[in-house]
Amino acid sequence: MQQSNTYIIVFSAILTIVLGLLLSGTSQVLGPLQQEAIALDKKKQILGAVIDPSEIDNMTPQQINEFYATRISATVVDINGKEISGVEAEKVEIAKDYKKPADKRQYPVFMFHAEGNPEAVESYIFPLYGAGLWDAIWGYMALETDMNTIAGITLAHAGETPGLGARITEGSLQARYVGKKIFDESGELVAVQMQKGEGKDYSSDAHKVDGMSGATITATGVNNMLKAYLGHYQAYIKNKTSNQAVAGL
Amino acid sequence: MSTETVEKAIEKKPAEPLFSKRRKKLVTDPLVDDNPVTIQVLGICSALAVTTQMKPTLVMAISVIFVIAMSNFVISLMRNTIPSRVRIIVQLAVVATLVTLVSEVLKAFAYDMYKELSVFIGLIITNCIVMGRLEAFALGNKPYDSVLDGLGSALGYSWIILTVAFFRELWGSGSVFGVPVFDYVSSIFGPDFKLATNGLMVSPVGAFIILGLIIWVQRTKTGYVEH
Amino acid sequence: MELFSLGIRSIFIDNMIFAYFLGMCSFLAVSKKVSTALGLGAAVVFVLSVTTPVNWLLNEFVLKEGALTWANASLATIDLSFLRFIMFIAIIAAMVQLVEMIVEKFAPALYGQLGIFLPLIAVNCAILGGSLFMAQRDYTFAESAVYGFGSGTGFMLAIVALAAIRERLKYSAVPNGLKGLGITMLLTGLMGIAFMSFMGIDL
Repeated sequence: MQQSNTYIIVFSAILTIVLGLLLSGTSQVLGPLQQEAIALDKKKQILGAVIDPSEIDNMTPQQINEFYATRISATVVDINGKEISGVEAEKVEIAKDYKKPADKRQYPVFMFHAEGNPEAVESYIFPLYGAGLWDAIWGYMALETDMNTIAGITLAHAGETPGLGARITEGSLQARYVGKKIFDESGELVAVQMQKGEGKDYSSDAHKVDGMSGATITATGVNNMLKAYLGHYQAYIKNKTSNQAVAGL
Repeated sequence: MSTETVEKAIEKKPAEPLFSKRRKKLVTDPLVDDNPVTIQVLGICSALAVTTQMKPTLVMAISVIFVIAMSNFVISLMRNTIPSRVRIIVQLAVVATLVTLVSEVLKAFAYDMYKELSVFIGLIITNCIVMGRLEAFALGNKPYDSVLDGLGSALGYSWIILTVAFFRELWGSGSVFGVPVFDYVSSIFGPDFKLATNGLMVSPVGAFIILGLIIWVQRTKTGYVEH
Repeated sequence: MELFSLGIRSIFIDNMIFAYFLGMCSFLAVSKKVSTALGLGAAVVFVLSVTTPVNWLLNEFVLKEGALTWANASLATIDLSFLRFIMFIAIIAAMVQLVEMIVEKFAPALYGQLGIFLPLIAVNCAILGGSLFMAQRDYTFAESAVYGFGSGTGFMLAIVALAAIRERLKYSAVPNGLKGLGITMLLTGLMGIAFMSFMGIDL
């Protein structure tokens, strides 16, 4: 049937209004819940660098929030290691910041406190962000209080090849980084390099980990990311270590 | 293909039982004999990309079932008021709204899934099965029948993608729904025995090949031949 | 140079068909003859090249969180991204309509060839997929234009190649159950393996 133009316009207008109201209503109602889900996801990732991910999976959202609140504190620094006040570390969007030049970005640092002793810091957690083979890769790395030994790492990706580069999310792969050092003997930042090929033993080398077969480009991406991002934190790390030296630690 | 169902629906008797034979057929036909994926060649687009694992595939299937059934229902309710000249855009608007609802709900309650499915939830909008059922059935039939018809097509689609995902996850990652089946089976046969996974299965190529084989098996069984 | 690599990547490596399965419906339905496949391919290139940048503008200046700041500073906190799906698909449908009218008016010969494919394109997953990927990956305007054109070209390449194979396939003895869709899926899989070799290119 052919309807008049007026009918079509009125019909379209009503439909648009009804659908628009429906959608904005939903987004209003679900908005806070979504924000919570995003915040929780971030906390999970940060905690993933210091505790076993399977342990996190077993916790309820409430437990994660509580655990995070009691054990993690955070600060934001600039490229020179100076603290930026008035910025909430959890609100810093690394991915958006990544588009700015390195000296304009904000760098959050998360401190993991010892259980039952909120004064003592067990490890420092730094965010990482870079490019893999296809898309962005990111993660968090925890350093022990010597600011040199890796306590743990968690990696994630947007679109690496499943079964190849996507393996960076596997726990067994991330475990290879634990105990490695990011500075060499002369104090130069060398980070940790994932090697080409898989199956060799690098346990005696403090700066190398076994690679992923068939995913050399993703591995290079991870290597570059570690070096670049830890480089941005170098000033902060140096400050911390020299303070520790002064305090006689 | 689908014109047949439309004609059948017209010769309807008054006060039909809730699950009459004809209505049952609306649901069961698309499962095997008139399967939207393997026979009608529709809706292959967005879904195959998520079939590397069972879990996201299940979420995808449920989302598609919801969107098809609901959009069929809504369009069927409005079928006499929709101006025919703008009908495609009206259908698209309704479908897009429903898909946005699904996506917002996932974002709020299952954020992990939302991240994993990313753009593919949005691509349900252009899933040809949705638009196909709206055009071929919902525009000319009563709401209840349309919902049944939508359910049938959506279920027919769901079992196909779940089957594809089952084989891709089993052979590609050695697990089913994330349970490491291969590791478990290997451990029975002692430490030296290891079932190997195949990287081809997790790549897109694996999906094409498995779907091709499923189509072969299914068409051989139903005797359907394409010319 | 960045843009050039993005173009190459979207044509060969991130191929709409072989890497993301997008646009499969028309890929399978309209790949029986090379000439029609060329027509559909050209239409997809055209529409993708237009809609991706247009949707970029829409996303950047209306939908994104804080996108409305240019209109009024008080609107900076508004996030309309929940309208993304419906707006993108509306723009696509409108652009397809517009393209159809323009082509009909100024190039009747081309319209005769493309005409029947244009309405189909509004519901082609590759078109919406292009816009959604563009939004998800935060491309710039120039990147979105290159990406739109590149992924369209990738689609055209795939569909024309498949049509060429299927024309030859008519003379082969294919088992009954495998005829049509089945053998096409397997073929697509084999072509996908060939395309995987592009992954080795370091861009």
